Amino acid sequence: MERIHSLYLHVPFCTWVCKYCDFNAYAVLEGLIPPYVDALAREIDLAAAELPIGPFDTVFIGGGTPSLLRSAQLHQVLDRVRAIGMAPGAEITLEANPSNVTSEQVDGWLEAGVNRLSVGVQSLQPDALRFLERLHSGTDAIAALRTARAGGFSNINADLLYGVPGVNLAGWLETLDAVLAAGVQHLSAYELTVESKTRLGQEVRTGLVRMPGDDEQLAQYWAAAERLQTSGYEHYEISNWSLPGFACRHNLAAWHYQPYLGCGAGAHSMFRRSDRSTERRWNVKGPHAYIKQASTSGHAVAGSEALSPERALGEAAMIGVRLLDGTTAARDFPAQRTQLVNAGLLAEHDGAVRLTRRGIELANQIGAMFLA
Amino acid sequence: MSTPTKLTRAISVIAHVDHGKTTLSDRLLEYTGTVAPRDMVEQVLDQLDLERERGITIKAQAVRMLYKADDGQTYQINLIDTPGHVDFSYEVSRALAACDGAILVVDASQGIEAQTLANVHQALEHNLKIVPVVNKIDLPQADPELVREEIEKVIGLPAESVIFASARQGIGTKEILEAVVREVPPPTGDPTAPLRALIFDAKFDAYRGVVTYVRVLEGTLRKGVRAQMMQTGKSFEVDEVGIFRPERTPVDDLSAGEVGYLIANIRNVRDSRVGDTVTDAARPASAPLPGYRHVTPMVFAGLFPTDTEQYQQLKEALEKLQLNDAALVYEPETSAALGFGFRCGFLGLLHMEIVQERLEREFNLTLLGTAPTVEYRVRLRNGEEVPVDNPDHLPSPSEIESISEPIVLATIVVPSVYVGNMMQLSQERRGQYLNTVYEPGDRVVLTYRMPLAEIIHDYYDQLKSRSKGYASLDYELVGFEEANLVKLDVLVGGSPVDALSMIVDRSKAQQQGRRLAEKLKTLIPRQLFEVPIQAAIGGKIVARETVPAMRKDVTAKCYGGDVTRKRKLLEKQKEGKKRLKRVGNVEIPQEAFMAVLSLD
Repeated sequence: MERIHSLYLHVPFCTWVCKYCDFNAYAVLEGLIPPYVDALAREIDLAAAELPIGPFDTVFIGGGTPSLLRSAQLHQVLDRVRAIGMAPGAEITLEANPSNVTSEQVDGWLEAGVNRLSVGVQSLQPDALRFLERLHSGTDAIAALRTARAGGFSNINADLLYGVPGVNLAGWLETLDAVLAAGVQHLSAYELTVESKTRLGQEVRTGLVRMPGDDEQLAQYWAAAERLQTSGYEHYEISNWSLPGFACRHNLAAWHYQPYLGCGAGAHSMFRRSDRSTERRWNVKGPHAYIKQASTSGHAVAGSEALSPERALGEAAMIGVRLLDGTTAARDFPAQRTQLVNAGLLAEHDGAVRLTRRGIELANQIGAMFLA
Repeated sequence: MSTPTKLTRAISVIAHVDHGKTTLSDRLLEYTGTVAPRDMVEQVLDQLDLERERGITIKAQAVRMLYKADDGQTYQINLIDTPGHVDFSYEVSRALAACDGAILVVDASQGIEAQTLANVHQALEHNLKIVPVVNKIDLPQADPELVREEIEKVIGLPAESVIFASARQGIGTKEILEAVVREVPPPTGDPTAPLRALIFDAKFDAYRGVVTYVRVLEGTLRKGVRAQMMQTGKSFEVDEVGIFRPERTPVDDLSAGEVGYLIANIRNVRDSRVGDTVTDAARPASAPLPGYRHVTPMVFAGLFPTDTEQYQQLKEALEKLQLNDAALVYEPETSAALGFGFRCGFLGLLHMEIVQERLEREFNLTLLGTAPTVEYRVRLRNGEEVPVDNPDHLPSPSEIESISEPIVLATIVVPSVYVGNMMQLSQERRGQYLNTVYEPGDRVVLTYRMPLAEIIHDYYDQLKSRSKGYASLDYELVGFEEANLVKLDVLVGGSPVDALSMIVDRSKAQQQGRRLAEKLKTLIPRQLFEVPIQAAIGGKIVARETVPAMRKDVTAKCYGGDVTRKRKLLEKQKEGKKRLKRVGNVEIPQEAFMAVLSLD
């Protein structure tokens, strides 16, 4: 099995689960954090004994709201990771909710080894924040970005949502400009996606909420892309921009189809066998079940799936094509490539392909063509 | 255990669809102990899964019951259950030919409907004694007295002969059985005469070959005789004779008046033609029994595998299905748009739907069916006449002298308040009004001469929707008539799609073209590029619509844990696309090929 240099750690706790969220996240279970951290530490220890992992180039602590962890808890987890091995200059990201970003917290995170902070700003418009059920204000969010920077973080990402009902193009660009002014090195702009099993999904189904049309969403997307480009940010993935040298290395590894280990409730892992076949496995989702299983056996695997080398190639192309610099992952699909190039969705250069502007708008159609 | 001829009866149950014939048959089987209560399932006689699911009877079925009547005698009653849908009226006609009497079931709330009349006419043609039953009298909206009056006035059966029943609740079952043994005459055939047995159905059994359903009218059919088919001249050694109870049960012989089956190592249902007479090769009868009307397909459509590699499988599936469905005909067809497939002939739209569903379900195929059409007769300038059952095969206008289309006599039974709607609809559909008869119970019988092509295009659905579901329809082919028809072509993405061509009345062609283009616009999903849809008559474009290009399809987030989900989503989308047919660059769904059926 190929050695694994990327690690994802999941923290499924939130103060409130926003109505659009379909991640593996739970409100009012914060009391479970201490046993959860113990279980997570145990899962990491056991993985080290069983799998070819480390030294780690990237560690990503996501959620949920991992900024709910106290710095001692963060320490506890990251110490176990360091015991396995951390590569020099490793990227260690923590996702944080603006409400949790205080100068004490920032000190503790830095001290624990975190060197990249991803702040869930989402929007600065009061109406949008209320609609999205965010518990912080726009001012809180900008203050959080400034506090992180002042406290010593030099690699900060802000997550933003566009296509939010009630926010027009001007309002969206206002949010974007203010966030850029606060000095982030990285920006993720996601279209607000309606997931069927969320409360937002229900509201859209029953007609209570009307989502902006495709044209409005694309207008906001392309306006942001333009604004970011003129501000010196590179558009390196469909929803991601960064200043030169600040692309998220953890996510890049996954988009380049590198194997990774995921620990924590509902976390996914991807392993590559020596025959180039791929295995995906995932942990049990619920925190109670996870704690019980991981703290007794050290394992919490709920299921797995083996992909033949052919299917894995298709998957690699489906993901790789999202990288806007281009990918060579589609090299095994000459017929599809020709068809997509002729349709004006892909452009070819130096044996690689990259999405055209139209290709970005229809990326799923392209991805589907690489799948069996 | 042989029954004297005078104690034998052969009956059918006839009714309009959904009036409760199959449920009544279930009760008769139960009451006579033919089926033990613990083996009783609903619709005992419907053996196809599809029949039970849809609650309809497709194939006629036979069963022998023993009934101890009030007169102390035990009668042998042979019952043949028949389908009620108009598509399968030929099944009714074959069943009736093998009977001496019929139980006529009329729904106590619906009253007499179009197929009630059609079935009664058939029964009378066969000289059958009719036992009228008003069924479903337990329903709150039932009006049995009114329906009884209707039966007397419309059909001419005395009101006092009408039995009130509820098959669901078992009310009236005994009265019906008593009436059958009392009213229906015993068979008159001589068991010692040379054998004459009428074939009324045939079924293919994978282990035994063809099982031939017969009624012996004269003589006796025994195991071991050499059975000769009088029409085809072929003969076969009889391995087994038996009766249905309701499963096949071998017996020593079937004598005059009895209903049962024979197995004679016949490998092809074509050698056991429905309507043919079986005689004994060693002592043949001098003349065959009068046969009955030959089954002719009324509608034609192309069936194509969506996966071209399934062509061979489709061919084998059709061969197998045809063994049990003599009404199905097919021949290979090649479409520029859809590739290799088969042009199939069906009895009607329901038959077509059922065949397609059985092919997909029982043979695991994914099929694309084109819109059904009728068979036209085209007279060419050189004097030749050619049948055309595929619009794309219509010769060029310069070669055509005239085109004739099949005409039916349509009978519509409807409450008087909807007469106006029915007349309007029938006139829109080129119907020629013939007659109106007012019947008791506020019921009107309308008759029209109408092109069959209009009927298969959504007429029945419209009839139902414009009468709040009350109208019923029956029709029979009466001949061919010249008409002013043209071919309407459709171009998708600039290329003609042969499978979308249709033959239409010239005066309505332009309007139909516009409607078809509009309809296709709603049915063809957005593609990566803009798709023009055009309708053309003889090279002249008469309508144009455009399917705009797909605007956006992109997932915002795709991180490690999302990948599996995303791949599965895209794979599912792709699976759904297999139902689409790629014509040139454009993906066209099955529904688009049926669009011509509902242009109103």
